[in-house]
Amino acid sequence: MNLTPARCLILACGNTLRGDDGVGPFLAEWAERRFSDQAGVRVIARQQWTPELAEEIALAESVLFIDCSVQSAAGSLEVVPVKPSAPAQGLATHHIGAAELLDLGRELFDSLPRTALMLTVGAGSTELSEEFSEPVRAALPEACRLLEETVLQMLDGDASKSGTHY
Amino acid sequence: MSQTITIDPVTRLEGHGKITIQLNDQGQVEDAHFHVTQVRGFERFSEGRPFYEMPSLMARICGICPVSHLIASARACEAIMSVRIPYTAAQLRRMLNLAQMVQSHALSFFYLSSPDLLLGMESDPKMRNIFGVVGAKPELGRAGIGLRRFGQHIIELLGNKRIHPGWVVPGGVTEPLAPAKRDEILAMIPEAYANIALALTAYKQIADTFKSEIEVYANFPSNYMSLVNEDDSIEFTVGALRMIDAKGDIIEDGILADRFPEVIGEAVEPYSYTKFAYYKPLGYPNGSYRVGPLARLNIAKSMGTPLADKELAEFKQLASGPVAASFHYHYARLIEVLYGIEKIEQILADPQILDSHVRATAGVNRLEGAGQAEAPRGTLHHHYKVDEDGKITWANLVIATGQNNNAMNKGVLQAAKHYVKDGKFTEGVLNRVEAVIRTFDPCLSCSTHAYGQMPLALTLLSADGKLVDQLIR
Repeated sequence: MNLTPARCLILACGNTLRGDDGVGPFLAEWAERRFSDQAGVRVIARQQWTPELAEEIALAESVLFIDCSVQSAAGSLEVVPVKPSAPAQGLATHHIGAAELLDLGRELFDSLPRTALMLTVGAGSTELSEEFSEPVRAALPEACRLLEETVLQMLDGDASKSGTHY
Repeated sequence: MSQTITIDPVTRLEGHGKITIQLNDQGQVEDAHFHVTQVRGFERFSEGRPFYEMPSLMARICGICPVSHLIASARACEAIMSVRIPYTAAQLRRMLNLAQMVQSHALSFFYLSSPDLLLGMESDPKMRNIFGVVGAKPELGRAGIGLRRFGQHIIELLGNKRIHPGWVVPGGVTEPLAPAKRDEILAMIPEAYANIALALTAYKQIADTFKSEIEVYANFPSNYMSLVNEDDSIEFTVGALRMIDAKGDIIEDGILADRFPEVIGEAVEPYSYTKFAYYKPLGYPNGSYRVGPLARLNIAKSMGTPLADKELAEFKQLASGPVAASFHYHYARLIEVLYGIEKIEQILADPQILDSHVRATAGVNRLEGAGQAEAPRGTLHHHYKVDEDGKITWANLVIATGQNNNAMNKGVLQAAKHYVKDGKFTEGVLNRVEAVIRTFDPCLSCSTHAYGQMPLALTLLSADGKLVDQLIR
């Protein structure tokens, strides 16, 4: 498929029926509105990341992955760099992680984005629900601000402020 | 002492299943079963819902072939409404169904089965995935990913969603095709042709090296059933069902959806939540049959598109009658992908494809309706009953996996007898038995949903339940 490479690709993951797991799609929707008139920003939200995303990732100038994290404290925010990494044993076909997607893109298209970061929001609950937990709800304004700041830095070519914890 | 080998769950399938192999006192395979271990509740929890909700509700059964459920369900609803949908809506649905078939077949061939085909049935299990394929044959990895994106992107363009699009509704589709979307799809077609040509060439180069697998992977005479057009060409979305026997003779023809329950019965076995469909006049299990790409190509006399017709002619050379070796499901799948691309191109060239009349409307005019379509893995049948207010009072779905169930079980037994000797097995042997199931590309997600990783444990138990041996991956 002939793709116009994104200057900043925002790639969110999550299921809106599983409580805080829906924070990725929520932030993607917010980003879609915030950057609707910004050339070069492309937003994709998926329930699962799959290998078909590798080309778009490989060709993008910068990529911001967004997901919830069940390992982090509920409502905590993190922006960390993502490095390409070969898959571990038992790779699932229907879902692969950000590091594996970068690796797959490099293998297939011989290209990597200049910057790849992951924004995570610590999940309080991923039980069946269309509501966020209180800590995640409280963190949303700061998550949006952090998302905006990171994308603007990526567009400026200055995403050196990575590995930030909030 | 008799023993049981259990493969649980079977990997690289859509959904969860397990295999058990029963050994006799001499360590030889005596019996084998493929079990679908989780239950589907859709028929029950749709009761009480308005019939017009059914397509979008039923599409949730599966993330791989939601479009087939949408179409079969919408057709059942249209039988209740007693309407005929506009021509353009029928063409748009056909294109959507073919796009889904392309992406689903690409998933089956490139992601699930090509690791076995390209790297070897007994290769390192760590590498038997799409990453392994990319490492060994990057051009095929790109082709597979490209074909899957091709199908998914068409679904997204037409239905505004990649998974569970709501565009197909009782009476037609919700909105006509915009010229910009048509042009975007047309622009993707040359690359799709290149990708499937690459895959077909690569497959033909390696297929002859799988003589043993062709011989024992569910290779036996059976009946076959699929949709077919009146001119005997392949069909996925409308038309009537035809059943042929192992010699290729037609044993039942013109089976419209409302006649399906008269002709097809469903048996139950205690070891699986998936039923076993059979042709009623022959009874169970003699009336068992196969559906899906192999059945469709065995039944169709033409594809109706030039490139796929050439491939069909080559496919028909594999046997003097119907092709019985289930290993050739792989080849049939690739031919159908080629057909799908050609047919989508033909549909987009139709001068009426941008017509704005795409939906018929009506209320309840019958209290019962049935619809059928070809899902990527075979015939799909939806049957509903409603009350005067249009609320569902009863529903039954017959999915492709149930119609292939008997053949899959026979195939597992056939392969296990060939590869498991003297009670001994290796991980590679285990993978070969699983690969039989993968040829059918069963969609167990129509029964259940997969979650997370699919580790595999094979255990060898003695007759008294003691652990004799175990392999875990």
